[in-house]
This record gives sequence, C-alpha cells and structure tokens, in this order.
Amino acid sequence: MIQVKELGDYVVASLKLKEANLTEAERFKKELMEVIDQGHKKIIVDFEQVMYVDSSFLGALVSSLKYAMTLGSDIAVVHLNKDIFNLFQLIRMDKVFHIYKTLP
Amino acid sequence: MTASKKILLVDDDRFMLELTARALEKEGFFCHKALSALEGLEILAQSLPDIILSDYDMPGLNGFDFRQRVLSDPKLKNIPFVFLTSFTDEDLMIKGLDLQAVDYITKNTPLAVIVSKLNNLLSTVREEHQRSLQELRKTAEALNLRSVPVKAPVIGGVKIDFLHHPFQNYPGGDFIDFIVVDNSFTFCILGDVMGKKWGAWFFSFNFLSYIRSAVRLCVFEGDLSTASILRKINKVIYLDPVLSDVFSTVSLIRIEHATGNILYSGAGDLPLIRYRADLDETSRLTSSGLLLGLFPDGKYDEAGVTMSKGDKLIMISDGMIDYEDEVGKKSDFQLFYNSVLPVIGQENAFERIKAATFAENTEKVQVDDCSMIFFEIK
Repeated sequence: MIQVKELGDYVVASLKLKEANLTEAERFKKELMEVIDQGHKKIIVDFEQVMYVDSSFLGALVSSLKYAMTLGSDIAVVHLNKDIFNLFQLIRMDKVFHIYKTLP
Repeated sequence: MTASKKILLVDDDRFMLELTARALEKEGFFCHKALSALEGLEILAQSLPDIILSDYDMPGLNGFDFRQRVLSDPKLKNIPFVFLTSFTDEDLMIKGLDLQAVDYITKNTPLAVIVSKLNNLLSTVREEHQRSLQELRKTAEALNLRSVPVKAPVIGGVKIDFLHHPFQNYPGGDFIDFIVVDNSFTFCILGDVMGKKWGAWFFSFNFLSYIRSAVRLCVFEGDLSTASILRKINKVIYLDPVLSDVFSTVSLIRIEHATGNILYSGAGDLPLIRYRADLDETSRLTSSGLLLGLFPDGKYDEAGVTMSKGDKLIMISDGMIDYEDEVGKKSDFQLFYNSVLPVIGQENAFERIKAATFAENTEKVQVDDCSMIFFEIK
C-alpha cells in the first residue's frame, strides 16, 4: 500500500491509494509503523494519488505519529489535494503535521 | 434509494460472462467482470462486491481454488459466494469439499431464473444482517448504552434540535450528549471517534464517560470553563492506555439558560456555524484545540458568544460534509456551509437545513455517521 523511498535525510512513503478509508487504515498503520521501526527520523507521507481521506484513515495517521514521537521521529505530509488540505486546516491537523506542498 | 447490488462475475467463457452481465445489469446489478480467478482476485483487492458468482471449471485457478483464496481473506470470506457448475462439478463439490458456498446454480439454468435467485439470495442476506443489527441494538439499549440521547432537553429560551444518522444503519463513532446543570447551564457535546462502525461505537462510550465526569467534576469545583473541561478530559485520555490509539473530535458548548449566551471550545472539530439575526449574517466560529488524546497539551481555547433573539448556532460532525458524487468521495465544508446559507435565516431553519443539505438523503451520498445539533434563541 505504501511505497518507500529514501531521499537524503528523510523517507517518502507514497500512498498507492485513491481512497484512503477504513478498509485500508489498519494495513497502512502497520506498514507505516514498520518504516518508523526502521529508525527513520523523518517520514513524509505522500498523498499525491489520494482523492479522499476518511476519519478512520486520519486516525491511523495520527496514531502512527503518536508512536513515531515516542521514538523521536516525525511524520509530515505532502501533495494534499485541495479538499484534503482544507480538511486538514479545518480540523487543525496542520498544527499536528507539517504540510509540504512539494517534497523539500 | 434502492440498495446497491454489486456483483463480481467470474467466468472464462467471455460469451457467457457478457450474457449474464447484461441480464443482471438490466435488473439493476452493477457488474464487475473477470475472465479468470486471478482477474477476479485483482478486482476484489480494489472493490468489494455484495455477492460473487463464479464458474467452477476454469483453466489455471479453478472455481475451487478461487473459493479457497476468497475464504482465506478475512475481508472477503463473508461475501456471499455462488457457484455456477455443471452437474458433474456439483457432484465433485458435494463430496465433502468444505467451500461454504451459499448456493450452486447449474449452468443450464435460464438467465431469468439465475437473476431472481441472486436477487432472493441478496435480500435474504440483507434481512439476516438487519436482524442481527437489530438484536445488537436492542441489547445495547437494554444495557442503557446510548451514544446519542433520545431527545434534546427543553430549556426556557433556547430551542435545541439534533439529528443523527448512523452510517449504513450501524452504530458509529458520533456521540451526542446534553448535561443540564442546576437548571442554569446546559453543556452540549458533539463528538466523533475516528473510525467507523463497531470499533468507533464501542470507544464512543469511553469518551462520553470521561466527558460526562469531567463536566460534573469541573462544575463541582466551580469551574465552568469549557476550555478547562477539555484540558482535563485530554489529560486523562492521553494517559489512558486503552485509548492510546483512539482519537476523538469534540465540540463542547455551554449555554447559559438566563441569557442564551454560549461558551465554546473545540477539539479537532469542524467550525460551528453562527447566524446573527440582527445583521442577517452567517459566520464560522472556530477553535484552536487539537484532537483529544493526541498531545499532553491540546491548546484548548474558548470563545464566548453573546446570543440574541433569533440567533442560531449549528454544530456538525464530519459525516455532514462528506459526500459522494460521480467522481468519488469528498469532504467539503464549504459546500455544506453554502447550502446552509440561504436557509439559516428563515423560519423552521433546522428542517430547512435538513432538506437543503444531503442530511436526509442517507445512503445515497452518506459515507460516514452524520450528526448535527441546532440551537435557536427564542
């Protein structure tokens, strides 16, 4: 579900999904946690292919962040479409995750 | 709206596949077609049908192998599965292969009969499902487990209405509560545990219990600040190992009965929509608080709103802004806001908002629990 690529001092985890929902949330969390466990300090989740995110999937993302923080890692996001970006702002997820427009 | 009927057809005979698909589509089925079991599995990885009709005798993976693959995947194994077989195949299967297929249809059965058989099967499965849901709901009610009250409290100068539509009739993660304190204040809570269906529903009780006790404890201590209530709840939830992985949004408002004035704090919630009657003006009311349970400090603030006659306020859960169109699913607060704008100033605004938004159109566009609380100063 996620494709992982190391780029300099961070890792990009690209979501291979159009609809990020409840059905995918558990697997996403498991795969992202594996990346966190490899000891990467900064992980950027790439939403380029994602059209829609539901609250279960956001929950999985948030819970991965909580886990990452206990290991001194950080999770950011990139390439949010307009709707998803607006949603992040509306519910203050922009204060929780650093949002990149493009990869740094 | 009629219930969706998505079917996966698997048959290596292209002619039969098209013929069956055409007959089913005429009857309102939406067909995914696969020429092999492998193709079928690929489709299943993308989209879950309501029922599967598969040929038995196919080159490569045959119907038996396909069924076993489907059974081994917990996401797929409960989808009703029907075999299309010739007589000899059927003999083979009855000889003790535990395939848990719902039914077998022999290949020379007329198409019309196949269609009606599938229709019957689906409605039986649905009825069964609804019955089990009903049972569970009854049990929950008997245990007094309610995440949404039966009705809103009646307060002198404030009219309160709410609506709650569970997603596909499952109990979900939205919760609502009204706590009346000493006949002088009412605390109104609208929360949404991230997740859907049973998991979220189960945790909504934990969140509600914490919120109820936090409100009561703060009131006992003479602290009526909504921000400090949220700070207390957040601290406890942050430390609770059972909820370490579960997050919830909350909108919390305190209404003063004597004046109708409101104090509002939010945790990762959507903006409230406020209508001022004297200016005929609608605006958003936002908060800075983060999701409950995420950080030890959730940055909770509070906003006081002076309310006058005719003023209105709406709280919503994210299901109200999620919808589905031809392109796919979306979350669009602005769309909801725009549909509220023309009607919020009118008489019977609550009913009009329900009608103007898709709130009443349940399954057609709804993709999550939908909840809304509406306040109007009389």
